[in-house]
Amino acid sequence: MEHASGFVLPNSGHNRDAEASKMGMWLFLFTELLLFGGLFIVYMVYRMINHEAFLLSSFELDVTMGTINTVVLLVSSMTIAMSITAIQKGNIKLSVNLLYATLAAAIIFMVIKYFEWSSKIHHGLFPGMDYYESLPKGEGLFFYLYFFMTGLHALHIIIGAVIIGVVIYRTKKGLVTSEKYTLTENAGLYWHLVDLIWIYLFPLFYLIH
Amino acid sequence: MENKNLHNTENHKEHHISSYKDHFSTLLALLLLTVVTVVVSVFGADLRSLSVATALLIATVKVVVVAYYFMHLKYDMKLYTWLVVLVAVLFVAFTALTSIEYFNR
Repeated sequence: MEHASGFVLPNSGHNRDAEASKMGMWLFLFTELLLFGGLFIVYMVYRMINHEAFLLSSFELDVTMGTINTVVLLVSSMTIAMSITAIQKGNIKLSVNLLYATLAAAIIFMVIKYFEWSSKIHHGLFPGMDYYESLPKGEGLFFYLYFFMTGLHALHIIIGAVIIGVVIYRTKKGLVTSEKYTLTENAGLYWHLVDLIWIYLFPLFYLIH
Repeated sequence: MENKNLHNTENHKEHHISSYKDHFSTLLALLLLTVVTVVVSVFGADLRSLSVATALLIATVKVVVVAYYFMHLKYDMKLYTWLVVLVAVLFVAFTALTSIEYFNR
C-alpha cells in the first residue's frame, strides 16, 4: 500500500465514497424488488384464475408460525438499525452485540421455517411428491408458489445472515468504526429488504382467506 | 487542510443519527400493524374482499414505515426516495397492465 514516493493513484482504493456505496446498494435492492415483484405478479394471476383453490390451500398454512416469524423479522430489523446507531456513536461493543441479536433472529426464523416446511413435506405437499401430484391444479400451484417464494426468501435470509457475520468479523477487527460504517449500513439495508419482502409474503400466503 | 475540515463538518451534518428510542417506537408501530392485520384476517374472514384489500394496505403501510425510518429514507438525500417511488410506480404499472390483460380474456 505504502509507496516509496508517497504517490497515490486516484481511484486506487485509498479514497472511500460512502454515498456512492449506498447508492450502489440501493440499485442492487431495486433489482431484488423487481425479482420478487415478478413472482408476486405470477401469484396474482394464478390467484385470479384459481381463486377458490388458493383460498382452500391457504388454510393449510400455520398462521401462528407465520406470525411468530413476522415478529422475529421485525425485531431483527430494529436490532440492526440500532446497531448502526451504536456504531455511529462509537459504541463498538453494543453494535456487535446487536448484530449478534440480528444473527440470532435469522437463525430462529430458519428453525421455524424448517419446522413449517417439514410438516408440509410430511403431508406430501412438496412439488413432485405423490400427494402433491394428486391435488387439483389450483392447489398444486398454490403450494408450488409457496415453496418457491418462501424458499427464495429463506435463501435471502441465509445470505443476509452470512453478510451480518462478515460485518461482525470486520467490526471486531476494527475495520468498521464510528467514522467508517458503510458496511454496517449496507448490511442493514439488505436485511431490511428481506424484512420488506416477508411483510408482503406473510399476508399473501398465510392471511388472505 | 482548511478545506478538508470544512468538508468533514459538512459530512457530519448530513449524517443524522437515529436514537434507540426512535427505533423502538418504530418497532412498536410495526408490531401494532401486524396485530391489526392478523386480527382482521383471522376474525374477519366473512368480509373476504375487504380483508384482501385491508391486508395489502396494512402491509404497504408497514413497508413504508420500514423504508422511511429503518432504511433511513427520511434523513437521506431525497433522490433515494424518488428512486424508490419510481420503482414502486413501475411495479404498479406492470401489475395493472397484467391484470387488465387477464380481466379482458
